[in-house]
Amino acid sequence: MAIVTFNINDFGFKDREELKEVINRIGLEVEEVKGDDILIDVTPNRPDLLDFYGLKRAIDNFSGKKALVEDYYSVKNGAQIEIEVGSGVGKIRPYIAAFVAKGVKLNERKLKYMINFTDKLADTYGRNRKKMAIGLHNYNVINGNLVYDASSEGKFLPIGAEVEMDFDEIIEKHAKGIRYSNTIEGKGKRVYPFLKDSEKILSMIPIINSKATAINEKTSNILVDVTGTSKKTVNDTANLLAASLMDQGGEIFPIMISYGKKSETTPTMGYREIKTSLNKIDATIGAKLTESMLVGYANKMGYPASKYGNYILVKVPPYRLDVLNYQDVVEDIAISFGYDRVVPVPVRGVSVGLPGDLYEYGDEVARYMIGLGFTEAINNYLTNDETEFSNTMRVKSDDIVTIAYSKTESITMLRSTELPGLLQDLGRSVHEKMPQRMFEVGSVFDVRDGKVHERVNLAFVSQDSKVNFAEVKSAVASIMAYLGLKYEIGDDDDPAFIPGRCAKILIDGKKRGVFGEINPAVLENFKLMEPVVACEINLVGEVSYFSD
Amino acid sequence: MHEYQLKLLNFIKDRRECNVEEILDGTGLSTDQVMWAIATLRDRNAINASKEETLVVELTGEGKEYLDGFPEENLVRSLSKSGQESVANIKDEIGLMWAKKNGWITIEGNMVRLSTEGSKAAAKDFEYTARKALKELGKGGDAAAIRTKYKSEMEALKKRKLIIITKRSTVGGISITDEGRKMLEAEKVEGIGQLTKDIITSGAWKKSALKRYDISAPSEETYSARLHPVREFVNYVRRVWLDMGFVEVSGPIIESAFWNFDVLFSPQDHPTREMQDTFFLSNPKEIGIEDAALLERVKRMHKSSWEKVWREKLAEQALLRTHSTSVSAHYMYRFANDVKSEYPLKLFSVGKVFRNESIDYKHLAELIQTDGIIIGDNLNLAHLIYTLKSFYQNLGFDVNNANEFMFKPSYFPFVEPGLEALYYDKERKDWIELVGAGIIRKEITKALGTKKTVLAWGAGLDRLLFRSLKIDALTTLYKNEIGWLRTRKRLEL
Repeated sequence: MAIVTFNINDFGFKDREELKEVINRIGLEVEEVKGDDILIDVTPNRPDLLDFYGLKRAIDNFSGKKALVEDYYSVKNGAQIEIEVGSGVGKIRPYIAAFVAKGVKLNERKLKYMINFTDKLADTYGRNRKKMAIGLHNYNVINGNLVYDASSEGKFLPIGAEVEMDFDEIIEKHAKGIRYSNTIEGKGKRVYPFLKDSEKILSMIPIINSKATAINEKTSNILVDVTGTSKKTVNDTANLLAASLMDQGGEIFPIMISYGKKSETTPTMGYREIKTSLNKIDATIGAKLTESMLVGYANKMGYPASKYGNYILVKVPPYRLDVLNYQDVVEDIAISFGYDRVVPVPVRGVSVGLPGDLYEYGDEVARYMIGLGFTEAINNYLTNDETEFSNTMRVKSDDIVTIAYSKTESITMLRSTELPGLLQDLGRSVHEKMPQRMFEVGSVFDVRDGKVHERVNLAFVSQDSKVNFAEVKSAVASIMAYLGLKYEIGDDDDPAFIPGRCAKILIDGKKRGVFGEINPAVLENFKLMEPVVACEINLVGEVSYFSD
Repeated sequence: MHEYQLKLLNFIKDRRECNVEEILDGTGLSTDQVMWAIATLRDRNAINASKEETLVVELTGEGKEYLDGFPEENLVRSLSKSGQESVANIKDEIGLMWAKKNGWITIEGNMVRLSTEGSKAAAKDFEYTARKALKELGKGGDAAAIRTKYKSEMEALKKRKLIIITKRSTVGGISITDEGRKMLEAEKVEGIGQLTKDIITSGAWKKSALKRYDISAPSEETYSARLHPVREFVNYVRRVWLDMGFVEVSGPIIESAFWNFDVLFSPQDHPTREMQDTFFLSNPKEIGIEDAALLERVKRMHKSSWEKVWREKLAEQALLRTHSTSVSAHYMYRFANDVKSEYPLKLFSVGKVFRNESIDYKHLAELIQTDGIIIGDNLNLAHLIYTLKSFYQNLGFDVNNANEFMFKPSYFPFVEPGLEALYYDKERKDWIELVGAGIIRKEITKALGTKKTVLAWGAGLDRLLFRSLKIDALTTLYKNEIGWLRTRKRLEL
């Protein structure tokens, strides 16, 4: 999600509440109105609405303020100049689309809107300029045809600097160079994409433009270039910008892009036609709509539309980059119709609710533990080596699930046992009344042969001045009798427990649990001052999903 | 006389003037018991006592969170790694404000940089006086003494609502009166106190009086062992789904990117797939995709709708699921054209989901989500809206009041149309998202091998749980402080 800020008065609504209502209805969210600023959250599928003019267009269409003109957003002029694409960019940033917008009426605020929009677009839709970036230049100072190529050497006076810098210097020292240096790949001597006219460099792409061709609020003829690694994204973005500049009074003059033998003209600016059956629309929305109503609803969302037998034919404007097929058109018609007008209908057929076995089993065990006087704890699955191993004095295992990168330092792994979490909980409760009895039933994880294994364990702890081995032994006997599990016990040497006061639980000869008195060194690590007895039993040996 | 009163009088009878602390040590009674004995004995003029005032300081929920680090400390620490940051990128305004106040940062134009002071504050061993003061106050030491040491810090902590300072009056100068001595004398008259098996079976109780007890004497607290509030709440949500005829399903929290993202139509270069937002795993690094035919269909789906290149390696990345919609995806695939099942199939799941967040009192890395799907024929928006309205009505929302509950269009890559339900939070005076929902895109159902229509939704539960528990820090939920677990009130749903 991206937040955009505009001046609320620019939308031409007297009633601010009415404007907010329309914005909500087309599926956006008004975050806040601060003075004259309106902050709007734009969903990532609609890059066109990051633009003030795109948003105003959508609002005007929806509220019927502007009549739709068929094929309005299209190129009517012939190619103006040519851009020759050199071989240097072929492997690193192969695609470019460009055009000239003449007669654009800018002022200080409009210029700010445009800069904000192109920056935001390149950061989100253009994935921080790597996939796509945009350049804006004053067309009046451009001389002759252009070349788009890459080179390791080049020198010009970039915006934000006082002296000429070469490409390497810009990457190392210029704020934009530092910020976007990750867009330049390659080993050894690096090559940088650039755009130049017959005499000078216009920009180092996608980093910074030259001061010589910079636009300001007085510029009326603008050269727009869009470059990137995805041809579709580059062409789509050029269409988006052309539509926006048309709404700002500009006339679009295309540019011929020549890739050696092949050449093409950008922007493409075509309306796509999508045919949707009337039945399908009714079947999705759950309401019976007449053909003329449908045309009206489509128009409100900016689609010129017409009836066509049992179909409705909509024309998708070139700035609508999100529309893939009929489903997206149906959604827009539903939005236009209004979700609040959909009459809720129950799903037909009787069905019987059925709880999941795994959850029910855990629930039963939890209730039994409550009866034994243990209070339930639920700890996070995410933990760290210190809690899991160092504090319990257990040997660090390689068979644990580990996290590649975490924003929170105390997260490094998924727990493979529940006991450390419970000891940590007791450490947070030392000032509370004794005895303290807690349990947890939940999943633990490990990795064997490269595969994740999930098990369900039950662990419990009891802390008091008088707890001892006999208490935990008797609790184990009670639980195992309840679960109907036959078990034996044997000596165990788990370092978390006191040697000679630690037992393992064996079921069919296999170790399935451990219990005993916690080692005072471990108590010290968890900042505990009273003796603790504890147990952990594996209830479900292997959780498997999606099989009967 | 009650035993607490007796113990107190006996303790003070040969002493000149005692304070509460001395009585606590000398009698072994609890504070409540001593205070009760003092109050009741004074009412009967058995003792003299005078009032004293003390300061009591308590940490608020946010205050407890701050013990691990103040926002301004976190800010300078992250700045010391990144060097600088634009103001717009710093979400934590509180941290920004205080770091500036402390002179730890400079703001030039749009950029925030560390000052020399700030670099010192970012060091590991830096002792922030505000935190030191908070720590000492948290230990419950003598607040008056701490105040002489940290006067300005305490003022600031109070203003920041990290501590609550209250004046509490206690008593001192406690001494016995003549009336008290008379009462002690009278106590020597015999009578039966605690009944025993011997007294009952021997008939001794017939020969001697049973002493009257003071029923207003304080009793010890007892606590019931209890289920965790998360389980209670999840069980409530489960019961609502079960009552609505849904079948419970579950799935793994450790997933491949394939099931978490690719199957659900999320393009491979989508920003949420970056390390920043998702927990990717380093062990295991990859989870293989077993069904080669499915893999091929998903690949084709991506190539025809998104970029020309789709990499299997990226789909195999192991991660912690970011939504439980991955479980729904598994079940769409599993029940694709299953002839044995009776449609419509109504399924739900409740489980953990994970976000790579910097944890604080408002943000958790582990969240609880409930997901549901209905698979069948002739299903539409009207059915989806009915189902979600029923669910939230059962959870106590006034779903037919347009000022409290509404649906609005929204975007999720895997549904079309997409919508969300919101409720109006009267305290925050804002609409809060409850659930994201929609009709699963045909591209997805086709790749998963079904011709059915699927209605789907996913809802976070933490905010609702938070609301019904009336707690002020999300992290309280998983700290398992036994004092809180024992004394919290029942959930109000």
